[in-house]
Amino acid sequence: MSSNTVSLNTRNSWLLSIDSWAVVVALLAALLIRFGVFTRVPW
Amino acid sequence: MADAIALPQARPVQPAVQFLRVIPGVLLLAAVGYAGKLLERNVGTYAKAHHWTFPNIEYVLWAILIGLAISNTVGVPQIFRSGVATYEFWLKTGIVLLGSRFLLGDVLKLGGVSLALVAIEIAGAIAFMTFLGRAFGLRPKLTSLLAVGSAVCGVSAIIATQGAIEADEEDSSFAIAAILALGALSLFTFPLIGHALHLSDHAYGLWAGLAVDNTAEATAAGALYSDAAGKLAVLAKTTRNAMIGFVVLAYAIYWASQGQAKMVGNKAAFLWQKFPKFVLGFLLISVLATYHFFTKEQATALANLSRWAFLLTFAGVGLRTNFREMRKQGLRPFAVGAIGEVVIAVFTLALVAGAGKLFGF
Repeated sequence: MSSNTVSLNTRNSWLLSIDSWAVVVALLAALLIRFGVFTRVPW
Repeated sequence: MADAIALPQARPVQPAVQFLRVIPGVLLLAAVGYAGKLLERNVGTYAKAHHWTFPNIEYVLWAILIGLAISNTVGVPQIFRSGVATYEFWLKTGIVLLGSRFLLGDVLKLGGVSLALVAIEIAGAIAFMTFLGRAFGLRPKLTSLLAVGSAVCGVSAIIATQGAIEADEEDSSFAIAAILALGALSLFTFPLIGHALHLSDHAYGLWAGLAVDNTAEATAAGALYSDAAGKLAVLAKTTRNAMIGFVVLAYAIYWASQGQAKMVGNKAAFLWQKFPKFVLGFLLISVLATYHFFTKEQATALANLSRWAFLLTFAGVGLRTNFREMRKQGLRPFAVGAIGEVVIAVFTLALVAGAGKLFGF
């Protein structure tokens, strides 16, 4: 549970909430792929 | 309103320092996740080459098992803990990216079915957990936290409710420990039950999304069954998560009426504050995919990126689960949670079976 405590206590020092960061990063990644900066992601 | 509570302020940490602090833990998540992927590929091949009978274990389970082994033997050293805690960020990023695999029509159709089932599940789960908490003589606010954790979305719901109803730290620790322990158990039991009952991917995914409490565990339990079940589990769980604001608001109003919590002023602002924003990101990517903003290859690339994000999440699920820590929290909240979870699992399975007959899946 220490991990939960860390994520809770450090939220404010990240400027945005985890949810908002997740949306920002995912949209940024989507745009980079859409405009051809990354053409394929292997799995 | 967890964010509005005046906590004693530690010295503010610069985002750059904070970023550097998470790097070791994120590397650990990546190493554990990738080891799971390598094991999936190589163990099966090795067993086949040596004519051994060995079950095909997916990377999801390997990553969780390696994480569990580290966490419950040597433990996770302090230097990695901030980074391991980012598993929740990777989970939500993965869910937003997964939106590229859903066309808006599917989201509306499946989301509509999920929404109806979620409403019934939430009402049933809250009523039953409240009854059970009273029967076992748990403290009322601990009962509320367990009810919200079981009905909506596990740890996030408990943390959101703790602030809103002004519950003790101790109560929320009990509730979180019970929900996490039961989530860990569901990872192993749900796929077994699903296979034993020969559930379709659709029915199983919907069931996992409705019955497993924490989003990470629900995603993993779905992915352990199949890719298609994993997608459905995420959709059903995301629908459940979207309800968090309404449930927390109802509890905040109830406890305020009892004189044991602050009144909620602006209810619309409260709902917006509690609403999980990643749900909007998921819908946005789904809309973009529906209107062909991405080519087929680009949508595949996004889906693969989502799988990498989930890989880090599954490693984090194992690494943050410490059974010794959970045992310290006492048996009664766990017993209430366990009985509640079994009943909710049976109840939601019946709901899914009924919906399956109605909608033909």
